[in-house]
Amino acid sequence: MVASQASWGRPGRLDDVSGRVAIAGVGESQHSQASGRDPVDIAVEAVEAALDDAGLAPADVDGLMWSGGLPGQLDEAAFRRHFAARGGDPDRALWTSAQGGGMVWAGTAPVRAARALASGRARVIVNVFSTAWATQREAGEGSPGDAHSSERFKANLELPFGWFPQPVYFATIARRHMHEYGTTPEQLGAIAVSCRRHANRHPGAVMHGKPLDLDAYLARPMLVEPLRVEDCCLISDGGAAYVMTTPEHARDLRKPPVQVAGVGEGHSDSGVFWSQQGDFTATPQVFSAPQAFEMAGIAPTDVDLLTLYDPFTIVALMQIEDMGFCAKGEGGAFVEGSRLHHDGGGLPYNTHGGLLSHAYVLGIAHVVEVVRQLRGEAHAQVPDAKIGVYGGYTGHMASTLVLRRADA
Amino acid sequence: MKGALPDLSFEPTRAFWEAAAREELAVPRCASCGRWVWYPRERCPDCEADEMPWTPLSGRGTLFSWASVERALFKPFAERAPYVTGLVAVEEDPRVRIVTTVVDCDPGALRVDMPVEVVFRELSFPGEDGVVTAPFFRPVPHPATGEALR
Repeated sequence: MVASQASWGRPGRLDDVSGRVAIAGVGESQHSQASGRDPVDIAVEAVEAALDDAGLAPADVDGLMWSGGLPGQLDEAAFRRHFAARGGDPDRALWTSAQGGGMVWAGTAPVRAARALASGRARVIVNVFSTAWATQREAGEGSPGDAHSSERFKANLELPFGWFPQPVYFATIARRHMHEYGTTPEQLGAIAVSCRRHANRHPGAVMHGKPLDLDAYLARPMLVEPLRVEDCCLISDGGAAYVMTTPEHARDLRKPPVQVAGVGEGHSDSGVFWSQQGDFTATPQVFSAPQAFEMAGIAPTDVDLLTLYDPFTIVALMQIEDMGFCAKGEGGAFVEGSRLHHDGGGLPYNTHGGLLSHAYVLGIAHVVEVVRQLRGEAHAQVPDAKIGVYGGYTGHMASTLVLRRADA
Repeated sequence: MKGALPDLSFEPTRAFWEAAAREELAVPRCASCGRWVWYPRERCPDCEADEMPWTPLSGRGTLFSWASVERALFKPFAERAPYVTGLVAVEEDPRVRIVTTVVDCDPGALRVDMPVEVVFRELSFPGEDGVVTAPFFRPVPHPATGEALR
């Protein structure tokens, strides 16, 4: 399916930012099960790592992006509080945007950053996201389902029937996808197994040291049929950050720069209501990916590695189809075997392990992984990777970020 | 922790539950162009008209898709699992998908797009005050054998 044929959503209106933003530094906190840590402290650890990676100091930061939609983020006040205590000027000008952080915004943050960089309002912009959901779950203080259960149409038309939380939505979508296209449990399993294989090579992954093969996957019990626990993302504590600057400035910094080549954004007209989405077995990548690929001047076949926001295996499979890596409905056959593996696969995918096996940091660690791959620093390194893509997904929205090695 | 009963004071969906109390399945229908509009919204997505009276449906449709919840992650349903929840495409316009619980069924015998029909039952949850009448769906029994139609 191409965007012009689908009528249930639309692309966002984005500036052409190709070649206008570089990612000069990436960093992560430790990822873990319940740690007892405050999400702001986790975010500070990630920001320090990202600045160190770039060869910059907190005093160099004059722009900050975070996710305004989720509580407990490293916002402007928290940033000033923490970094003033480390020798920065507490009153210095700071360009800020709450339209950053993780999820789809991990992919679209460079669009807003490009304007701030072009206008000179900022020169070094940090985008950061963190969660402590594993800790909060143990304490009974919130979960990823809260945003849905507090939505009043869902509370009145879905919750009374037990259609909640997210594993139920996506089991229902997976069942319909299986019906329409013949997708099998083994094919969903191939995605989970590929992610685990990569996480097993990544010392920072939550599921490092816990192997999973297809037989073991198939032997696991159903959580919400047709999904097993292994089809669902982790719940973990952790954070990540990346540092954006101009391509010119990035050339003078510590690491080989990676450039933003294209960005896309897609919206579903049915909003947050999956039950009513016009095409039930598709994602707004249908609208987002073509926009990003056109901006970057590439085709899906030019992509050396792909990371996707993968709350569930079926969401990854649908995005692979909707972004044009295969025809709609052929995603199941496409992901079988070693296709998604970093070594020998046709489309190396979530080479850090993704939300399924690396950490549940809502996509920002996916962008970190793409940057490391393009620098040749990854644990499951794709040989000579030049172009890497992040696909973000937040239910009614999708985003696509195309990154390119600056020398490529 | 959020409960599972509907909030009958929430105006946009109040008529859905009032109809269910009369054992009717009703959704808004555009008075101008006849489009069934689901979920409720301010204006008709086809013609922008703002008059959409709640209108009864036949209660027949097809099982668009479903999930078999083996282990409930939503606490009010902990004692109900395993249960089947999913979407019914109504016969008047299959773009209208009603979220429901599928009852009186063998989960292994369910098929996507099989005919289903509404059945009204009382709904309540442990530890929550109140009871409502809710529209559930069940496979349509064959008139002779009583077995579900495929």
